[in-house]
Amino acid sequence: MSLIDRVDDASSKRGVKRAWLILVVLIFLVLIILPSVYVLFEAVSQWDLISGVASDSGKMAVIWGAVGNSFSIAFIVTIIDVIVGIPMAWLMVRKNFPGKRYVDTLIDMPLAFPTAALGFSVAIFWGVPQGLDVPGLGIVLSPYVLVILLHLIFTYPYMVRTLSGILEQLDPNFETAGMTLGASRFTAVRTITLPLFRAGLVTGFILCFARSLSETGGTYIALSLIGKQSTFFTGPTFISELKHQAGSQAAMPELILISVLLIVFALLMLFVAKMMMDKVKIPWSKVWPKFERRISRGLAVKMRNGLSSLFLALFIIIPSFFIFSFLLIDGPLPDMAGLFKAMGISFLVAGAATAFDIVFGIPMALYIARNKDKSLGKALDMLVNVPLIIPTTALGLSLFLFWSSASLPGLVLVILGHISFTYPLVVRNVIGAVEEVDPSYEEIAKTLGAKPFQAFRKVLLPVIQSSVLAGSILAFTRSLGETGATIAIDPTINTVPIYIVNLINKFTEFNNPDYAYQAAVASITLTAVCFVLMLAVKYATRRKLGGLRHD
Amino acid sequence: MTEIRLEGLKKRFGSDMAADGIDLKVESGEYLCILGPTGAGKTTLMRMICGLTEPDEGRVFFGDLDITHLDTAERGATMLSQTYALFPNMRVKENVLFGSWIKGWPEEESQQLARNILSMMHMESRSKAYPDELSGGQQQRIALARALASGSRVLLLDEPLRALDARLRLELRKDLKGMVKAMGLTAIHVTHDQDEALEMADRIAVLRAGRIIQVGTPKEVFEDPKTPFVANFVGRSNMIQCRVVSSTDGKVLLESEGGLRMEAKDGGHSPGAEVLMAVKVGNTKISTTLPGYFEGRVEKILYEGATITVEVMVKGLGLVYSKLPNRKFDDFREGNTVSVSWSPNKAKVFDIPEGGIEYEIRVD
Repeated sequence: MSLIDRVDDASSKRGVKRAWLILVVLIFLVLIILPSVYVLFEAVSQWDLISGVASDSGKMAVIWGAVGNSFSIAFIVTIIDVIVGIPMAWLMVRKNFPGKRYVDTLIDMPLAFPTAALGFSVAIFWGVPQGLDVPGLGIVLSPYVLVILLHLIFTYPYMVRTLSGILEQLDPNFETAGMTLGASRFTAVRTITLPLFRAGLVTGFILCFARSLSETGGTYIALSLIGKQSTFFTGPTFISELKHQAGSQAAMPELILISVLLIVFALLMLFVAKMMMDKVKIPWSKVWPKFERRISRGLAVKMRNGLSSLFLALFIIIPSFFIFSFLLIDGPLPDMAGLFKAMGISFLVAGAATAFDIVFGIPMALYIARNKDKSLGKALDMLVNVPLIIPTTALGLSLFLFWSSASLPGLVLVILGHISFTYPLVVRNVIGAVEEVDPSYEEIAKTLGAKPFQAFRKVLLPVIQSSVLAGSILAFTRSLGETGATIAIDPTINTVPIYIVNLINKFTEFNNPDYAYQAAVASITLTAVCFVLMLAVKYATRRKLGGLRHD
Repeated sequence: MTEIRLEGLKKRFGSDMAADGIDLKVESGEYLCILGPTGAGKTTLMRMICGLTEPDEGRVFFGDLDITHLDTAERGATMLSQTYALFPNMRVKENVLFGSWIKGWPEEESQQLARNILSMMHMESRSKAYPDELSGGQQQRIALARALASGSRVLLLDEPLRALDARLRLELRKDLKGMVKAMGLTAIHVTHDQDEALEMADRIAVLRAGRIIQVGTPKEVFEDPKTPFVANFVGRSNMIQCRVVSSTDGKVLLESEGGLRMEAKDGGHSPGAEVLMAVKVGNTKISTTLPGYFEGRVEKILYEGATITVEVMVKGLGLVYSKLPNRKFDDFREGNTVSVSWSPNKAKVFDIPEGGIEYEIRVD
């Protein structure tokens, strides 16, 4: 009897099924959720130390400043994303034009860049990097504006993708009906379609906001390149700067305090957004027929499409690819052995985290997708989002504190950290796929004599495999590019982003442009790897229909 | 061959009783139709039999074996759903072989079985096709082939003909039953289509609001309904509320509220009792020349192909319907005064239903 046969048999036993479910939920709660928010408990037990910091008005000013920067930047970035994302999503879904396929790929491109590379690229394109002689626009920007320009790049694809996903599902017949009843196109869209995609807007909002709130490596590098890393902070860069300076327990109370603030406000934000999704109604009823008719036609439409495309090119695509200009300049190559070793560690961490996500995430996704009407299913569905919304530096610090007494090796801790924020990506993707599949496939398979695990393996899995693959590759690339969590857990675990950040730190310390050049080469290498993986995602999702078949 | 026995099955979803104490026995090799309106609990009953839904109370037996808590895969009861659920990632042949594949039957025998069943269905030529390349009727046949090839002794058909167009549906009725009978399976077929049930079933069980109201052969259920609901749901009836005047020779004389007098078969009611009389529209005769129980005015004549339905407005009663063969189409004109009659032994008398007449005869 082979192992799989044994699993098949076991899967039909009631007790085994229950035990497996309990195990999966326990692992989720103990290994993922609890460590992610443990810092909240730690804050209570170390209240004496923390209140010391809290009463130090100098320190508090810096902390509040960092938290304020984080949230206001995330908010501004997301609002801009909404404004430019709606017309772009519209263009991609409802219009056909030559080269649409390529634009489609271009929109996804920033997702393939590790944020460390993006930070580098954006700083040298827009800003005036100190002590680096590279041809960019070289505008003297406030660090605040620079960070906004950076965060726009990697949040933009999330917004456009979310909105176009919803838009694709909306029947254009509603608008056509509205127009045959006398509304201009703009009025029809505004009063009929937009209210229908409120849910998509809120989802896009949460994704972009969380991503911006969480970003560490790119922001830190961009700020370093313009020499502002120790005077201007976001929440995550404050944590990594403290870790970098102290490298020890010295600044622990500050770290705990700012992590708690980030986590609490982030969760509050999630809660408010969810409330808005259900409750708030936007008053759409007022109509300005003349004005709206005018902007529905001719020149106005052309201008809208032109501006959307211009924004995509100027603010998203060109700044991302600008780092490749380093390939035109000669310079000293980085220590290749060290880079490949870092690459090896990155792949080990990403691979281990993704494997864990697949094994324990898929059963969780199946349970949630099939039990959304039960209270446990609902609760888990909410909880899965938590690690997604918590800034990864705060999550990393929390996880570090949670395991501090267990004295686990740093590498294991880093892997656990990466599991926490990649797990929701896999689970979300699989939930989406499973919900699309008619449950009667599995049920009928069971009435034909298939045991539960057989029905999953032979009927459901082949149908959802492309989504599982897409989710896994997303998780893998996200882990490859992650800086903040790794720094907060153990900065000595030399993944590629850490390797790049270290080079940048040396560059600012010794003011030697060679280090920056090496950092650029390392970024380009990591980007190339991520590109290949991203193409794999495209391939996997495009083959969705073909992927249903096993020939 | 397997006999199926259900004892006191109950299942509640929120405030709905999907099954409210169901007792039913299906003979081995029998083709039983469960007929009921939408929301009667038909699908829940099927799911409890094959183990996809667990009953709150009651037991399910296959033969002498209590299988109430047995896993679906072990029961040998295959479901054929209205969407067919052909696995989209497998070819026709792989779909048909699914059952034997997961049970690990010898390769050669399975292949032989698949060939036999596919040729019985006249589908050998499509064995390499994917489900989405098949027409609705072909998908239906492959779903049946897959169920038959799984070696199950019990076949549960959940509205298996619903998704097909009207003509194909009629053709497939005979084929479907023929093949199930040829394989000697015990079959339970759920439908809301009374014609389908009447034509296909060995016996019909009428289900409403989670309860079985009547079980019997198509003839019994049609001609001798146990409740006004059955009378109206299986072949439409004219319902008239009356009071019993007298009874003689197995007939009762009835009088409606408006004073119209009519006759029906004696149901053992004593004079003075309030009753509900039901007579099938097909047994309601109208005539321009012969005398009847009462008269009315022809409102509308509907041409339905083989039959016509005449709506007659009767003062004090409202509309009364009469279903006639189509050759009578030219005998009546709108506005004609006609007499209405029936042979008394075709009209049944019921007690006034507890839930009220309106609820009792509602069919949705």
